[in-house]
Amino acid sequence: MVRRSERVWLNIAVVLVYAFLLAPIVIVVLAALNSGAYLRFPPEGLSFRWFAAFAQSRSFTRSLAFSLRLAAIVTVIATVAGTMASLWLVRFGGRLRTTLRLLLIAPLAVPGILTGIALLIFFYALGWGKSGFAGLILGHTLICIPYVFLIVSAVLVRFDLSLEEAARNLGASAFTTFRRVTLPLIKGGVISGAIFAFVTSYDEFNISLLLSGVGTTPLPIQLFDFLRFSFDPTAAVAGTISIAMALVVVLVTQRLVGLESLYTGG
Amino acid sequence: MPAALRIWGRHLLILPALAVLAVFFVAPYLNLLVISVMTPSPRAAYLRILTLANYTRLVRDPFTWGVVWHTMWLGIATTALSLLLAYPLAYHLARATRRLRAGLMVLVISPLLVGVLIRTYGWMILLQDTGLINQVLRALGFRAVPLMYNNLGVLIGLTHVFIPFMVLAIAGTIQNIDPGLELAARSLGAGAWRAFWRVTFPLSLPGVIAGTVLVFVLTVSSYVIPSLLGGFTVLTVPILVVRTITELFNWPGGSAFAIVFFAITLVALWLYLRLIGRAARTA
Amino acid sequence: MADLSLRGLTKRFGDVVAVHDLTLTLASGELVALLGPSGCGKTTTLRMIAGFDVPTAGRILLGDRDVTEAPPEKRTCGMVFQHYALFPHLTVEQNVAFGLEMQGLGRPAIRRRVAEILDRVGLGGLGRRYPRQLSGGQQQRTALARALVINPGVLLLDEPLANLDAKLREEMRFYIRALQRELHITTLYVTHDQAEALVLADRVAVLMNGVLQQFGAPEEIYHRPQTAAVAAFIGVTNFLPGRVTARSGDRFVLETPAGVIRARGTADLREGMDAMLSVRPEHIELGGPDPGVSPDGINSVRGVVRERTFLGSLIDFRVDVGHGVLLRVQGRAAASQRAGDQVTVSFDSAAAWALPGREG
Repeated sequence: MVRRSERVWLNIAVVLVYAFLLAPIVIVVLAALNSGAYLRFPPEGLSFRWFAAFAQSRSFTRSLAFSLRLAAIVTVIATVAGTMASLWLVRFGGRLRTTLRLLLIAPLAVPGILTGIALLIFFYALGWGKSGFAGLILGHTLICIPYVFLIVSAVLVRFDLSLEEAARNLGASAFTTFRRVTLPLIKGGVISGAIFAFVTSYDEFNISLLLSGVGTTPLPIQLFDFLRFSFDPTAAVAGTISIAMALVVVLVTQRLVGLESLYTGG
Repeated sequence: MPAALRIWGRHLLILPALAVLAVFFVAPYLNLLVISVMTPSPRAAYLRILTLANYTRLVRDPFTWGVVWHTMWLGIATTALSLLLAYPLAYHLARATRRLRAGLMVLVISPLLVGVLIRTYGWMILLQDTGLINQVLRALGFRAVPLMYNNLGVLIGLTHVFIPFMVLAIAGTIQNIDPGLELAARSLGAGAWRAFWRVTFPLSLPGVIAGTVLVFVLTVSSYVIPSLLGGFTVLTVPILVVRTITELFNWPGGSAFAIVFFAITLVALWLYLRLIGRAARTA
Repeated sequence: MADLSLRGLTKRFGDVVAVHDLTLTLASGELVALLGPSGCGKTTTLRMIAGFDVPTAGRILLGDRDVTEAPPEKRTCGMVFQHYALFPHLTVEQNVAFGLEMQGLGRPAIRRRVAEILDRVGLGGLGRRYPRQLSGGQQQRTALARALVINPGVLLLDEPLANLDAKLREEMRFYIRALQRELHITTLYVTHDQAEALVLADRVAVLMNGVLQQFGAPEEIYHRPQTAAVAAFIGVTNFLPGRVTARSGDRFVLETPAGVIRARGTADLREGMDAMLSVRPEHIELGGPDPGVSPDGINSVRGVVRERTFLGSLIDFRVDVGHGVLLRVQGRAAASQRAGDQVTVSFDSAAAWALPGREG
C-alpha cells in the first residue's frame, strides 16, 4: 500500500472494525450515564442515577468489595509465585524449560469452565464442600500466575546479565545483587504483571461461576445472575468500573513494559 | 554458604508456582479422569463402580452429537468471520509507525481486559429487540431483526470477543515480513491488491493458521456468550457440560464429557504451538 | 610474587574445548594482552578468572590465594566489561560507589574516594549524571573508575575499546596504558586487535582455539613467531613453503620454490624438516630486472610483477617469484615498477623467519 488512494480502503475497513470492537464498551458507559432505563436513540440525557443505584444496592456493593479483596490476595500470591517461577525459568531452566513453560501457561490455554468444574469436583473429593473463599483464591491464582509469568519473563529475557556479573565482581552476594540491581530493573515487569493479575481475577467468570457460594459471590457472578432476568442499567455501572480499570492497566503496562512484548516472542 | 547448597537452593524459586499448579490444576484434572469412569447415582455424587459406560453413552447419544456439531459449526463461523475482520486490523497494525502502533495496541488489548461479561452486556443492549440497532432500523422504516437469543447474536458476540486474539496472532507474523517484498512486486508490475495477495498474504499464512486454531479453541470453550446472548435456545458443549454437572448432578457423565472436550482442546493447542513455532522459524 | 597465576586452566562446554591447559603467570604491575581471534577462548578465560564460569580443570591463583572455587564477590579482581555494564538505574557516583559499599566503607570515606577517582579519570562534575546521558568514552571511563576504586589486586579488561570509534580508541589506548603504569596495577587485557596488543602490552599471550601459542614481549611475537598461526595473525606476512637443507646455530638454509633462501628460524627446526618461511612485506626491497651480485646475507629472487595497487602512502605489489608463489611487497610511492615488469625482490636473511609446518 504505497499510495494514498490505496491506503484509503484499508483505513476505512480498519476504522469500521475498530468501531465494531469498541461499540459494546462505549455503549455500556453510555448506558451507565443515561438518564433513562433503556438506551434510546436519540439518547435521553445525562444522569448519575444509576451510579447512585449501584452504590445503594447491597448485593452489588458487597460483591464489589468481595471481588476487590479477592483480587488483592490473589495478586500478591500470583505475583510472588509467578515472578519466582519466571526467574527460575529464564536463568536456571535448562532442559526442563519448555515443558515447565507449557505447564505454567496451561491454565490460560484450557477452557476456564473445565478448570472450574475440575476444581469443584476436586474440592468435593477433598471434603471441602464448595470451599468458599479459599477455593476461589486458589482457582483465581491458577489463572493469574501465567500472566505474571509471561510478562515478567518478557522483561527478564531482555535483561543484561553482565549487570549482575558486574555487581558480583564488585563484591555483592547473589541476594544483594538481586535486591540492588535485578529487582529495580525488572520492577516495571513485576508491576505490570501484578496489575494484569488483579484485573484478571476481578473479571474472572468461568471459575467463579462454579466455585462461588452464598456470601462468596464475586461481582461478575452477581452481574450474571442479575442480567439473566433484569435489564436495569445498574449493571452498566459495574461495567464502567471494569472498563476504567482495564484502561488504566493497559496504559500503565504500555508505559512500563510496552505491549509489544505480549505478542512478539512472548 | 557451601557451593552445593548455593546451587541447589536456586531451585526453590520454582516451587510455589509448581506446587499450586500440581495440586490445583493437574490433580483436579486427574481426579476428573477418575470420576469419569465411576457410575452415576441418583442419590450420591457417584458410585465407586468402575465403568466405561459414560464414554460409550456419550459416543452413542445423538443429542450430544447434535450439540457437538452445533458447537463446531459456531466455532468455524466465528473463526472465519474474525479472520475476515481481524486481518485488515493486523496488517494496519503491523505496518504502522511505532507511536501509532503503541496507541493501536491499547485499543486492541483493552477490550480483552474488560471481561467477557461486560462486553456481552454491551451487545445485549445493542442487539435485543428493543435494543439500539433495532430502534434505528425501526426509525428508518425497516422491520426489527431478531439479533439476540439466537445463533446470530452468539456469532456476533463471539466474533467480537476473539478478534483481538486473531489480530495479535497475525500482526506478529506480518511484522516479520519485509515490506520491501511488496515494493519489489509493485516494481515488477503488480497492483497494490495483487502485490498483497501474491506476496504478503501467503507469507502471513503461518500466523493466520495459528490465529485460526487459537480462536477456534477459544470459541468452542466459551460459556458466557452462548448463555447470555443465546438465551436458552443455543446449546454449546460448555453449557451442556456445566448443566450435566450442576443441574443434572451427573458427575461421572459430565466428567467424561469434560475429559473428551479437554482432550480435543489439548490436541488443538498442541497444533497451535507447532504452528507458531513454524511461523517463528520461517520469519 | 605473581599477582595472577593460571595453572593448566581448561574449560569444556559439552564436546567443545574452549580453553585447553592454559598456564600463564603475570608479574606484579605488568600489563599482559590476551590476544586472539573471536572464539579463541580469551573471554572465557577472563570469565573464569572473575568467577563467572567454573573451570573444568586447573587452578587460578590471585596473589597467593587459590580462588578457583571462590564465588565472584570473594575474588579481588576488578573487571571492566565489553559493554561497560553500568547500572542504568544508578548515577555515575552511585555506580562507582557500589563496590565500596559492598566493602562496608562509611559514607564519608566512600564519597571522598569516589570524588578522587572521578577526578582522576576526568569525570569530575559528571557524578550526578546517569549512564545513558554520557558519551561512549565517558561511559568507558566510568566503568574503569568503578573497577579501580576498589583497589583490586588484578584488573581485568574485556575488549574495553571495541565499542569506540577509531580515533577515540587510539586516545583511550594511551590513556589506559598511562593510568595502568601510574597505578602499577597488574592487568590482563583481552583483545582481538593485534595492533592494540602490540602497542599496549608488556607481554602478549597469543591464544588460538583455546591453546596458548606464544607468550612473550611484543617484539618477540612480531619478529620471532613460534608458529605459523601466530605469524599469520600478527601483522601481514608472506609465506613461502620450503624444506630445511642446512642448519648452523640459528641460521638456516632452505630450499623453496623461489630458490635457495637463507634465513633465521625457530629452535625446533632440524635439517630435512618441512618449514614455512615468513617474510614481512616491509622488509622486502623491489629492484630492477638484473639482480647483479647480491651481498652476503641478502636473498635475491627474480620475479614478475602481477599486480600494482595504489594505497596512498605506499604501493602494494604482488610479485610472482615462480611456481605460483606470489609475494606481497610494499614500495614507496616513488616505485615505478608496473604490472608485467621483470623485477628482483631482495630481503635480508635476518628478516626471513622459518617456522615448522606446512601450508596453513
